[in-house]
Amino acid sequence: MTAEMIVVGVFVVVAVAGAVMAVRSQQILHNIIGLGISLFGIAGLFLQLGSPFVAAMQVLIYIGGIVVAIVFAMMLSMAMTINPPARNLPKTIFAAIGSGLFFAGLVGLLSKTQFATRPTAGDEAWAVSRIGNALLEHYNLVFETLSVVLLLAIVGAILIARRDKTPA
Amino acid sequence: MDTTSLILATTFAPFVGFAVAMLFLHRSPRLAQAVVITGAAVALGSAVQLWLEGPVEPLRYLWFTSGAIELHFGFLLDGLNLMFGVVVALITLCVIVYSVGYMAQDPSKTRYFALLAFFEWAMLSFVYAVDLLQSFIFWELVGLASFFLIGFWYQKPSAAEAARKAFLMTRIGDVGLLIGVLVVMMTAGHFDIPGLLDPERGLVARVAPATLTAITLLIFVGIVGKSAQFPLHTWLPDAMEGPTPVSALLHSATMVAAGVFLMARLYPLFLAAETTRCIILVIATVTALLAATMAMVDRDIKKVLAYSSISQLGFMLMALAAGSLFAGVFHLITHAMFKALLFLCSGLFIHHFATNDLEQIGQAGGRRMKLTTIGLLVGGGALAGVPPLSGFFSKEEIFAALGHESGTVFTIAALAAAFLTAYYTFRMIFLIVLPARIEPAANSGGTDHGSAEPWTMVLPVAVLTVGAAVGGLWGHQIAAALNLQAPTHTLGSMLPALGVVVLGIALAWVDFGRGERVGFLSRLPALQTLFSNGWYIDTFYRAVFVRLTNWLASLLHGVEVKGLDGGFDQVGFGILRSADGSRSLQSGWVQFYGGCIVLVVGAIAVYVGMGG
Amino acid sequence: MTLEMYLLLSAVLFCLGLFGALAQRNLIAVLIGVELMMNAASLNFMAFNRFSVTDPSTGQVFVLIIIGLAAAEVAIFLSIILNLYRQRRTIDPESITELRY
Repeated sequence: MTAEMIVVGVFVVVAVAGAVMAVRSQQILHNIIGLGISLFGIAGLFLQLGSPFVAAMQVLIYIGGIVVAIVFAMMLSMAMTINPPARNLPKTIFAAIGSGLFFAGLVGLLSKTQFATRPTAGDEAWAVSRIGNALLEHYNLVFETLSVVLLLAIVGAILIARRDKTPA
Repeated sequence: MDTTSLILATTFAPFVGFAVAMLFLHRSPRLAQAVVITGAAVALGSAVQLWLEGPVEPLRYLWFTSGAIELHFGFLLDGLNLMFGVVVALITLCVIVYSVGYMAQDPSKTRYFALLAFFEWAMLSFVYAVDLLQSFIFWELVGLASFFLIGFWYQKPSAAEAARKAFLMTRIGDVGLLIGVLVVMMTAGHFDIPGLLDPERGLVARVAPATLTAITLLIFVGIVGKSAQFPLHTWLPDAMEGPTPVSALLHSATMVAAGVFLMARLYPLFLAAETTRCIILVIATVTALLAATMAMVDRDIKKVLAYSSISQLGFMLMALAAGSLFAGVFHLITHAMFKALLFLCSGLFIHHFATNDLEQIGQAGGRRMKLTTIGLLVGGGALAGVPPLSGFFSKEEIFAALGHESGTVFTIAALAAAFLTAYYTFRMIFLIVLPARIEPAANSGGTDHGSAEPWTMVLPVAVLTVGAAVGGLWGHQIAAALNLQAPTHTLGSMLPALGVVVLGIALAWVDFGRGERVGFLSRLPALQTLFSNGWYIDTFYRAVFVRLTNWLASLLHGVEVKGLDGGFDQVGFGILRSADGSRSLQSGWVQFYGGCIVLVVGAIAVYVGMGG
Repeated sequence: MTLEMYLLLSAVLFCLGLFGALAQRNLIAVLIGVELMMNAASLNFMAFNRFSVTDPSTGQVFVLIIIGLAAAEVAIFLSIILNLYRQRRTIDPESITELRY
């Protein structure tokens, strides 16, 4: 057992534990915290997979931005937080069966596929500047489209959440 | 004019009258009357002209072929047809003219006259038909016309029911006739009447005797229905619900005579089928006696005449069954005239006094209507068989035929029936002419239709009176037309007939001409009840057949409503219910929808991942 | 860790997220499930990026795009939740069933 394997194992456990907490809890805050923990684990795995930049972005944007926004939404729907509705057992079983089946199928597929592996590229290929270059050269369209999407999302979010004007 | 146009004029002129009146003239009843009268007059004229020109070859037109079978329609113009055609046309014209007066106040005159024209077309086409299938078609059409005319005042429930009853009972007979016609088809391969009657190539030569008996029996079933013989006779008294001219035309002279005419038309077949003739003889005798007993006690003048028609038709069939075509046809023709005469006279009484009851007519002063009374006396005398009126001669022929061919039992039965005929006829006459008391002229009640005896109604009565009186002298001509020899009779052979007539009239006078005007039957109340209820035959039919049919009909109705119709409805409801059930899938739960998608994809993934 | 184990891990995370999205009674929890699914997909990309791709910047760009899109999507999702809560005082997916028979 190398140190690397222990670290990877820790991150995996954190990710899975967080995910389980995120889907199991009755309290919404526990769900959110579980999501956060899981995201931390995944960020660690990104790090392990050779991309510190992406790991950093994950923590920054996902945990720092999205999870915080979700917390705000939770606070704004306080009544639901205080009195969470009870679990609906048939629905839970139904969802469990569906996900279970899907998981079984995925596992089966995984075990049957031969994945082609290549030797890992060198360090200079993993530089952040290469990401920047790729974004602005090869994937320029995607980049610009993403910015448009973000703009639309902002406008849409404002529109949807706007309070209706009361008649004067 | 050549034969073709004449015969077409005879048969189609009434149809034109019917079509024009029915289609166009509902608002002009007078014009409709004129049109129909013209049609009938044309028919009569052409029929007379044809009669004067004598028998000719039949006319045939090919209707259609079906494989080896050829169906024609056309006209047969031999002595019997020509003669009877004139009789039918004459009586129809008389009745139509009479109806002008009788139905003067009726609101639906156009329909009435149009229907009379329709009947005349059907009857004449039946008489002159050359093809057995054509005869059958017009036989049915005549029945249809009868239905319409009996139920003419259809708002009256009794009239509608009587029309239905008449149609259904004759229909029962018609089934037998149809089967008989079809058997003819199967054995002979064609329907052509001259061909069927041909002694060398016709049915008699070609089919086995058993088959011939079957065919003639089946045809006789039709005759039983149409000519109201026992056991299908109960419709005729009820048919008196129709207007009296209709009764005069259809139910005494022409339509019910169609059955007897058919037997005369197909006589060679019946001559050869001895078994059938025995059966016919028995049934006809029973009918003649049965109906005569029922006529003895009835108080309604039209019902008495109706029972009398049934009885006289029995006489005609007895004569034909005994083997004498001449006697049967002779009586057919004379009966047509005097029975129509009697009905028209009764119509005059009914029209004036607004009642059908014999005693009421007499007591209201029936005999003050002089011309009508004369007609009544002549017609009644002819019916009873008083010489020298026509009925006497035709009845004489019948007795002679029975005596020669059929033996004593039937002859005695016929004489008994003749005795009863004389009795009930003169009962009717005495009740009207010599009532117990007469109310004074001012209180004679009745309707104020102007003159009691308008000329439109009296003229036909007069014509028929003459016919009924002197018709007996035409015996030789009738026989000649039938290619037969009129038999001669000695005075001695006429005595039995004369004897029963005198006895009958005497008894009638004793009962009804003086004293209390009650019949001897009133001292035999059991018999009286039996006779007045028609020997309970109709009651029996109602209790058994009508109930049975109604039960069956409601059973089938239940099957249809709940089974067939209900089954289809349930299929529809079943679809609706299953749709209702499957609606719940559209619950609006997003997570449920998502779950279903995941389930399916998961199943596919498992299949691909684990299996495939 | 081999590629297959990373893929297995991402499958586990994905199915957990799927379960959460389908079974939870709070729309925010559904959102959380969706986010989990997306992260599982990003993990998948990063794993392939590491083991099976010649140019490793491809996968990283992809994950960055995913993160960006996730942010946009969360924005919309949350604004809908807000609007819904304002109108109905509940964000239980079982109560929001207008589009039904």
